Amino acid sequence: MESAIQLKALTKRFGSFTAVDAVDLDVRRGEIFGFLGPNGSGKTTTIRMLCGVIAPTSGQATVLGHDAIKDPEAVRRRIGYMSQKFSLFEDLTVDENLRFYAGVYDLTDEKFAARREYILRMADLVGREGELTANLSVGWKQRLALGCATIHEPELIFLDEPTSGVDPTARRHFWELLYELADSGVTLFVTTHYMDEAAHCSRLAFIYNGRLAACGTPGEIRALMTETVLEVDVDDAEAALLALERVSEIREAYMSGAVLHVNVGASSPASVVELLAAAGVTVRGIEVVDPTIEDVFVHLVTQQRAAGETLAATAPEAVAVPNPPVSGSPDA
Amino acid sequence: MREALRRISAIASKEFIHIRRDPRIMIAVLVMPTIQLLLFAYAISFDVSDVPTVLLDGDRTTASREYLAAYEQSDFFNVVGHVESQKAIDDAFDRSSARIAVMVRPGFGEALARGEKASVAVLVDGSEPNSAQLGQAYATALNQALGRELTFEYLERQAIDPTRAGGITPFIRTWYNPERRSADFLVPGLMVVVIMIVTVQQTAVTLVKEKEQGTFEQIIVSPIRRGELMLGKVSPWVLLGVIDMLVVTLVAIFLFGVPLRGDVLTLGVGTFLFVLCSLGIGLLVSARASSVEVANLVALLISFLPGFMLSGFAFPLHSIPRFLQVVSYAFPGRYMVTITRTVFLKGGSFSILWPEIGALALYAVVSLTLASVLYSRRPD
Ligand SMILES: Nc1ncnc2c1ncn2[C@@H]1O[C@H](COP(=O)(O)OP(=O)(O)OP(=O)(O)O)[C@@H](O)[C@H]1O
Ligand SMILES: [Mg+2]
Repeated sequence: MESAIQLKALTKRFGSFTAVDAVDLDVRRGEIFGFLGPNGSGKTTTIRMLCGVIAPTSGQATVLGHDAIKDPEAVRRRIGYMSQKFSLFEDLTVDENLRFYAGVYDLTDEKFAARREYILRMADLVGREGELTANLSVGWKQRLALGCATIHEPELIFLDEPTSGVDPTARRHFWELLYELADSGVTLFVTTHYMDEAAHCSRLAFIYNGRLAACGTPGEIRALMTETVLEVDVDDAEAALLALERVSEIREAYMSGAVLHVNVGASSPASVVELLAAAGVTVRGIEVVDPTIEDVFVHLVTQQRAAGETLAATAPEAVAVPNPPVSGSPDA
Repeated sequence: MREALRRISAIASKEFIHIRRDPRIMIAVLVMPTIQLLLFAYAISFDVSDVPTVLLDGDRTTASREYLAAYEQSDFFNVVGHVESQKAIDDAFDRSSARIAVMVRPGFGEALARGEKASVAVLVDGSEPNSAQLGQAYATALNQALGRELTFEYLERQAIDPTRAGGITPFIRTWYNPERRSADFLVPGLMVVVIMIVTVQQTAVTLVKEKEQGTFEQIIVSPIRRGELMLGKVSPWVLLGVIDMLVVTLVAIFLFGVPLRGDVLTLGVGTFLFVLCSLGIGLLVSARASSVEVANLVALLISFLPGFMLSGFAFPLHSIPRFLQVVSYAFPGRYMVTITRTVFLKGGSFSILWPEIGALALYAVVSLTLASVLYSRRPD
């Protein structure tokens, strides 16, 4: 099947800073493609290039069979974009926002009437058409933004962190809407830094410091991890992390929701228990788990960061290291 | 084409909703200009030098030449020409190339020679009252000093007793603004500055705000062209700008009692073009400004300072440094101030004001084109 998006060595520099570094990517039609990465890793920059908002420094991008760099106009009608800040006009009512975007996409009146009804139902906003957008709570705003971004029924939708700042229930609801869209054959390109949302995607790419660190199905991504991961439930997570960080054999230790995930690396599960006991931490439960996607990405980040640090030792102007990925809330 | 119109009207109607829902905009557009007009008009007074002056020597004697030469040496008068007829003086005033005319009548030399009172007419263009008043004062002073000197010199040569001879009496006539009311002169110019500040500022902010909200990006990924976006964004402001001008015109007429002597249509056309120019400037600012604060500040600087300094509103353009005089052509204010003053005070119409109207039209086309070019470029 034809690709929806194809990137070859796509690069974007801001001055001497490389925000997106030679990214190769192939997104198939009809899939939910997750584009994951920590803050500042280049997700938004990539999407902005694909939508023709900014021009890349070099490389190629094909979107729905058209050159997205030379001819961004060609696919405008066929793509939708829900930007990171929900792009609604707060001083307009729900209806006025919909009408505005319908006008910008020059929908006919009949078409608009049909789409409006569908979107109001989809966003659970029936009866609230006349309400000012500013008065909607985040979950509704987000669904209205999705409605506005899809008012012209695009074949491909870019969603830039659509769920950030939204409560878990609304997030779940939102993902159901995305599934619905995917079922109707729409291709979705979704960025997020909620690792638990990765499981919703048919394929994933992980970007870090502008470089593609991994790409594949969730299963393939998990298989990248060959080391043993422990899930540890402790009473004092902070003390436990401090103790674990001091041991160089242990590769990673971090909070995943309410529990610790520990990549034991060259060490062993037994020695982790001993170590924690020695630090005066009570272990309430410990078990070996299949690595989650989050485990893999933390692992990739740690690896790159280590590489970055050796780089920093030789090149003082080397890149700053951003924050690690945010883990998903436990109930989502 | 129909699609383009649909897109433009979507933007324009959205813009109207923003305006309607934001009381600050309504205040900025309708109340502020009136308040500014009131404040400024009552607060301002000025000083002048180098008033452009033409001389008419109807006598052509040594005495008249000596008398007129004194004007050329004065710092206050800037003699821009010698004319032959009263008609030429009228023309110079119409074109605003002179504000004062000094006219020596035939028989000036003879009268002096006979030791009689010689008369000189000093004509002052009163549509700029600070110049008018000062011009009158200076001319009188000059006449007194000169007159005495001329007379004394002459009489001494003739061995006549100077104390019994007459002097030179200037007849002073103020044209266009007979009562030399300051408000009449100030308000038409002030209107222009006030309108410019409001319109430049509002347009400068409207697009930057959209960028800050992130809605700009959302709009430009749609099929809309950037030119269409721009058109949709400014069209409500054209209307508001014109309404604004109407409001301050009414304030000028009914509150300040400024007479509207000239052609209203010419004023209307000028206003429309001037509003377009201001919008062009506002768009240029917003194309480059990085935030609403920056846009606000730059808009204020670019409209306020040139509005005051370089429009001829506060300082007659001939009294500012030559360099600034050149710079003043780059701002639409000077053309519009000439238009409002000429229409209000001199009863001017298109037949006199076509160069200014033309300049504004050209300015509007250039600034709007430039703005749309800046906008159609994809940012990095
Ligand atoms: N216009 C710009 N000029 C200069 N630097 C920029 C610009 N836009 C983005 N950057 C930088 O490029 C890097 C990548 O930014 P980007 O917004 O793509 O990250 P992101 O992955 O979307 O992050 P987040 O999760 O915070 O949204 C960041 O370091 C950012 O500061
Ligand atoms: Mg981002």
